[in-house]
Amino acid sequence: MGELNSFGDFDRSTGSKSPILILGYGNPDRQDDGVAWHILRQVAERYGRPVPAEIGEDFENDTSGLDFQFVLQLTPELAETAAGYARVCFVDAHTGAIPADVQCIPIQGEFQTSPFTHHMTPQTLLVLSETLYGHRPAAVLVSVRGYEFGFSYTLSEKTAGLANDAADWIYAWIKGPDLA
Amino acid sequence: MGTQKITIEPVTRIEGHAKVTIHLNEQGAVDHAYLHVNEFRGFEKFCEGRMYFEMPMITPRICGICPVSHHLAAAKASDELTGSTPPRPASLLRELMHMGQVIQSHGMHFFELAGPDLVFGFDADPATRNVVGLIGLDPALALKAVGLRKFGQEIIRILGGRRIHPNFAVPGGVNKALKAEEREQILAGVDEAVATIQVGLQLIKGWAAANMEDINKFAVFPSGYLGLVTPDDGLELYDGAIRLIGQDGGQLERFDGRNYLDYISEHVEDWSYLKFPYYKKMGWPDGVYRVGPLGRLNVAKQISTPLANEELKIFKALNGGKPVENTLYYHYARLIECLFAAERVKVLLDDPDILSNDILNTHKDFKGVGVGVLEAPRGTLFHHYWTNEMGQLQRVNLIVATGHNNWAMSKAVDSVAKTYITGPVITEGLLNRVEAAVRAHDPCLSCSTHAVGQMPMVVDLVDPSGNVLQSLRRNA
Repeated sequence: MGELNSFGDFDRSTGSKSPILILGYGNPDRQDDGVAWHILRQVAERYGRPVPAEIGEDFENDTSGLDFQFVLQLTPELAETAAGYARVCFVDAHTGAIPADVQCIPIQGEFQTSPFTHHMTPQTLLVLSETLYGHRPAAVLVSVRGYEFGFSYTLSEKTAGLANDAADWIYAWIKGPDLA
Repeated sequence: MGTQKITIEPVTRIEGHAKVTIHLNEQGAVDHAYLHVNEFRGFEKFCEGRMYFEMPMITPRICGICPVSHHLAAAKASDELTGSTPPRPASLLRELMHMGQVIQSHGMHFFELAGPDLVFGFDADPATRNVVGLIGLDPALALKAVGLRKFGQEIIRILGGRRIHPNFAVPGGVNKALKAEEREQILAGVDEAVATIQVGLQLIKGWAAANMEDINKFAVFPSGYLGLVTPDDGLELYDGAIRLIGQDGGQLERFDGRNYLDYISEHVEDWSYLKFPYYKKMGWPDGVYRVGPLGRLNVAKQISTPLANEELKIFKALNGGKPVENTLYYHYARLIECLFAAERVKVLLDDPDILSNDILNTHKDFKGVGVGVLEAPRGTLFHHYWTNEMGQLQRVNLIVATGHNNWAMSKAVDSVAKTYITGPVITEGLLNRVEAAVRAHDPCLSCSTHAVGQMPMVVDLVDPSGNVLQSLRRNA
């Protein structure tokens, strides 16, 4: 009998899929662009988990079935990572094109092109997960409006406030999608 | 005479991205096209006041795709600055990490960004002309392609402790020796990586044979070429002298990268935030040059690894030994370099010094100024630091590959627009060709920031009176 975790009927020793990944991305050097870094830290702290001391260090994941990962941008190999989870919460910043200050939406797999260069959306990542690895996790995208994008580690006051709201939403979503 | 203007613009609120503007005359022909790049010079200011030894950890965050290039260039600049030449084993290990970077970056570009255009054609339905379409066509190859990138990433992770932003190179060497079991782990993946790259080479050769008409009219133009070379003018990605050749292939200069300011100047245009580097002695615009895979294979006379060298011979024959000018051959050159990098991994791992613990030179002869140069996947990368006597950065100058290729990308956009756009209506296929002219150079435009809602691209066709005749939007 393997170890059961706290986040669903999950037995890591059998190789079954891990329940939940909180996958944040952005550039913490560019103020609000890196809001996901701050949100992940908040959520991890609420679960009493150790948080990285500095940007670039990995989150320490345990056997509970709730994992955290932060990257500068989404890349193709993360499709395999995402395919190993039942549920994935993507966390990002957003801009004026999206009306809500904090947007929390379910997302499906959908290929989205990048006209010039490397830029992968979570929707594209989900397509790759399903097509290459045969599993597309249930996924949500939580994004927070960014106001300042200068060269600084510190969030703008407005975005810092919204980050708290986003962390609340993710905390509820982890307990169960219907609760969020 | 009035003109019309078409703008291809990834809508962004901050720097780090680009847009294309195509000006049409009243006959509907392209008058001129520009690529406007919004530079991230702010990063240099951001670094001022920091300590030099922080730079190998700070600068990788410029880019999520090629952080190792900045990590190593920063370390090389810091070596110079402190007068701490790394021991040979440390240089081998740094180069090994760099090869991992080249493999993952080139592998991703070819199979994810370039592959769909090559396999399906520029005019194919964008619903299928993408990496998912490729997977549907050949799932086994798609998995191999992902595996190739993972192989490169795994080298970085083993050495740097993490895949994205490594903690490895430090002034005077590296902070971790390679273990025997780690060496075996990397070695075990080399053959498969080589085989996957060879499949890619067959793919591009087949595509080239079937698409010579496009290749020979798609942004073909003369320029100079610049890149690092070995002492015998072979392909070099980590260290060496800089070789600059002219349009005819003749050598213009061969110089130490530390002295780059004696050879390279930067031109400013009022339509781009990104400067245009050029060869100082020839002036602007005669001294323009290209970097990256095409530039490097044009300046190199041979490659030290056997499989890549055979491919180089075939590549060199494309233009009778003269520089290959076709922009679309960037893709071909990229794969040959990727093959070199995979072969080079094995050469490095077979070196008796690779497992040595002599990895750090702690002796310092502080100079306060240092230049680090290497060949990032996209081209030659310069890091230049000036510090005070305490080691605090007073000035930072970064010349990134996308900067070197700024002229080439804009020239390619102009050339493609003039070749393919002949009327006021722009089809998706034509739009894709213009984008492909930029993509061929594999620029790093979106690395600085990339929030949700930031990447839609708008194409407006505007008549001389300012009326929008056609508007295309591509959401991403």
